[in-house]
Amino acid sequence: MEMGRSQEMSEEKKRILRERAKRLAQEPKDARTYEREMEVLEFLLGRERYAVETEYVREVYPMKELTVLPCTPDFLLGIVNIRGEILPVIDVKKFFDLPGKGITNLNKVIVVRKDPMAIGILSDEVINTYAIPLSDLTPPPPILTGIKADFLKGITHQQLILIDIEKIISDKRLIIHEEIE
Amino acid sequence: MNKKNGEFQKRLLATFKAEAEEHVKAITSGLIELEKDLPPETGMEVVERTFREVHSLKGAARSVSAANIESLCQATENVFSALKHKEIDLHPALFNTLHRVVDAFNEMIFSSDMGVGFKGERIAAIKEHLSKMEAGELTELQAPAGESGESFPAGTYLSAEVVRVPTEKMVALLLQAEEMVSAKLAVSQQMEDIAAILAMIEEWNRKWSKKYPEIQDLRRIEERKIRSENNRTNPAMSDAGLLEFLDMTRARIRSIEKKVVDLKRQTQQNRYSIGIMTENLLENSKKALMLPFAALFDSFPKIIRDLSHEHGKEVKLTVSGEEVEVDRRILEELRTPFIHLIRNGIDHGIEKPDRRVEVKKPKAGNIEIAVSLVEGNKAEITFSDDGAGVDIEKVREVSMSRGIAQASGNDQPADQEMLSLIFQSGFSTSPIITDISGRGLGLAIVKEKIEKLNGRISIESRQNQGTTFKIAMPLSLITFRGVLVKAVEQVFVIPTPNIERVIRINKEKIKTIENRETIPLEDITVPLARLGDILELPGIQEDRPFLHTVVVESAGKMIGIVVDEILSEQEVVVKNFNRHLSRIRNIAGATILGSGKVAPILNVQDLIKSAMKYHGAPLKVDGSKTKEEKRSILVVEDSITSRMLLKGILETSGYHVKTAVDGIDAITCLKTDKFDVVVSDVDMPRMNGFDLTAKIRSDKQISNLPVVLVTALESREDKERGIDVGANAYIVKSNFDQSNLLEVIKRLI
Repeated sequence: MEMGRSQEMSEEKKRILRERAKRLAQEPKDARTYEREMEVLEFLLGRERYAVETEYVREVYPMKELTVLPCTPDFLLGIVNIRGEILPVIDVKKFFDLPGKGITNLNKVIVVRKDPMAIGILSDEVINTYAIPLSDLTPPPPILTGIKADFLKGITHQQLILIDIEKIISDKRLIIHEEIE
Repeated sequence: MNKKNGEFQKRLLATFKAEAEEHVKAITSGLIELEKDLPPETGMEVVERTFREVHSLKGAARSVSAANIESLCQATENVFSALKHKEIDLHPALFNTLHRVVDAFNEMIFSSDMGVGFKGERIAAIKEHLSKMEAGELTELQAPAGESGESFPAGTYLSAEVVRVPTEKMVALLLQAEEMVSAKLAVSQQMEDIAAILAMIEEWNRKWSKKYPEIQDLRRIEERKIRSENNRTNPAMSDAGLLEFLDMTRARIRSIEKKVVDLKRQTQQNRYSIGIMTENLLENSKKALMLPFAALFDSFPKIIRDLSHEHGKEVKLTVSGEEVEVDRRILEELRTPFIHLIRNGIDHGIEKPDRRVEVKKPKAGNIEIAVSLVEGNKAEITFSDDGAGVDIEKVREVSMSRGIAQASGNDQPADQEMLSLIFQSGFSTSPIITDISGRGLGLAIVKEKIEKLNGRISIESRQNQGTTFKIAMPLSLITFRGVLVKAVEQVFVIPTPNIERVIRINKEKIKTIENRETIPLEDITVPLARLGDILELPGIQEDRPFLHTVVVESAGKMIGIVVDEILSEQEVVVKNFNRHLSRIRNIAGATILGSGKVAPILNVQDLIKSAMKYHGAPLKVDGSKTKEEKRSILVVEDSITSRMLLKGILETSGYHVKTAVDGIDAITCLKTDKFDVVVSDVDMPRMNGFDLTAKIRSDKQISNLPVVLVTALESREDKERGIDVGANAYIVKSNFDQSNLLEVIKRLI
């Protein structure tokens, strides 16, 4: 809705707003600069360290029962019952088309939500939540582009891979809609 | 600012819509009442009441600046005012015009712009007509070209004597209520835990009693000692101090015991009260989602009136049992099928008045809808008309000529069977049958809709006496009965309403017709398909001399689904998928079983389609072909994911896989089945992989069975221990890759 309105805006208005935004975006010169941070939840998948922003994390749930659904894509491991709601659980590695090396001990479901959608992400181990400075985040190195860099927010100096939950949750591949002719 | 304003406008319009809908409904029922022959006094009351409703609608329309609605209200008010002052009389032409007005109101209310874009000429024409009427000129209003007589808005007619709450909010509440059941289970678990603590204390009590004489002896000796050596040197260090501590401990344990007993009593009470509260909450949440059938039926008088006028027929509606309550989501789904039934009844069932008089029926036809409650949670709805009935002979003729039904020899298919053919889609779209007996394409839609709601529909018809549709369906979406089946070690639910029967068939009875296995079922032949094949499950269903088969039916098609096991029939709670899984082939939803496990509910309509499409290997009836021995592997792993992963890898490589959750479970499996290799995790509850291996090695029967340990433990000692207990291979999880495991297994078998 907001988008629609901005398109109707006159060029003049847009220019004024753009200038104003630019001014506001300037860092104050003398004021003390605060490091901007982002709160993340770190988890392990095989030997790699991944993280998601905590604002999307609703809960971490021990994996008890997983029901496999036939006739669904590979990355959809199955469905779980979390407090009366049936959620799809995905394997991020398969979703990223990463080679599945190492038997993992996938036993924690990280429930992420971006209303109105929610999914479970399977992880080997959930490490901790903490804040990382935004400045620490760099674009994923080319070596990782194989895993669809689109779905990553970046990577930290400590090789923590930050997943873009919004992109994953709204990815078309996740919406399974198949009729039989 | 702007946005806020827009939001407000939107809310305001929504409120108006709701209010306007109520007024229009009241106006409609007022009009219909006036059409009956009322005593003059009652008639005036109704006029007055309806007049007021029109006036309120006008006020509401003004507040949202719906000018078209407002001005039409004004013109209508004038007519009512004339009626009130007896300047004009109630006349059939008047009603027709007023019903057109109501149609226009409805259309405008449900249009996105509140009738702003409504054709001005039409409003003007109606208004002009109204003013003529007001002046006493009573003529029929000519329906303008392009205006269909069936412009019923698609909006809901659900009554709102109470609070309007969006369905989804109610559903969210219901979900939470359902989850409270787990709180109830948790308290029960706590009770058990407390009982276990009490048992421990009890055991201590017994031991104490046994030791008590010895302690008493010790005490006596000690007392004597103290008396003899009056000069106590260091009492704290003496045995007396120890005895004192023993006494204190005993007293402490006693008081703990007392507290635990209290706790148990309290928990018991909690369990009871939480149980009651949860059940009540669940019950009431379900009830909050229920509406009476009347909410749907309320709109029928007007629909019937308009349709019968259109066809030059007279039709009355009799409704009973409209107070029966049903889940509102079902009620909303029932609207379309009912409209189809009404249309069919009026269009093709009920005869024109003169024809009716000819066959000595009352001039006005009757449509009767009766709802009755069956078994507390199901409804039986009969929808009947007293019209001409279905012409069976014509149906038979058409179906024969089109090859839908075949007359085998002299046996003519039974009438009932013929009748059920009219539910078939496409069947009745043929011009011949449409002209003769109608029962159009609509009936296929009706059947599909009803079946989607887990209901069933059947038809009875007698020539010249009428047609009756019988619908049996659940009143709530939440639960229905389903049969639990197992195929390739997974549990699925098949909705009972779709099941014709559950049978066990001898493999020798299977006949291959056109490359498809079939079984004879009384006088028809039913194609067979394995559930594992339909669902493309990776494993292979075992071949047995007798096949468990569930015969399902949907939209007139029947197939036999072969499963491994039929577990039980039970009430299941339907859980809808979240919107990511909007439509999965063959799966309708899921349910949570008593054990807490989630089981997929199968979509029978899809299954039949899939089975028809499935061109894979037909069921192997010929025993010799199946004899290609499959190697069998037992996977022992406590983590469900790893278990599934291993199972998947091994199955795709063509092994037959069975799983166990720990060593003890594995031992049980090993006793009943034969395996070629065991793949086991090390770290497991109850019995770990090392102990399992040792146990296998010590059992003469299976001591040669190869064992592969797959583990997270990568230390050298662990590896040595694995070799010590007799494992044939030791794979560390972090170095794991599929080919490695498969290679090892290949070497071992």
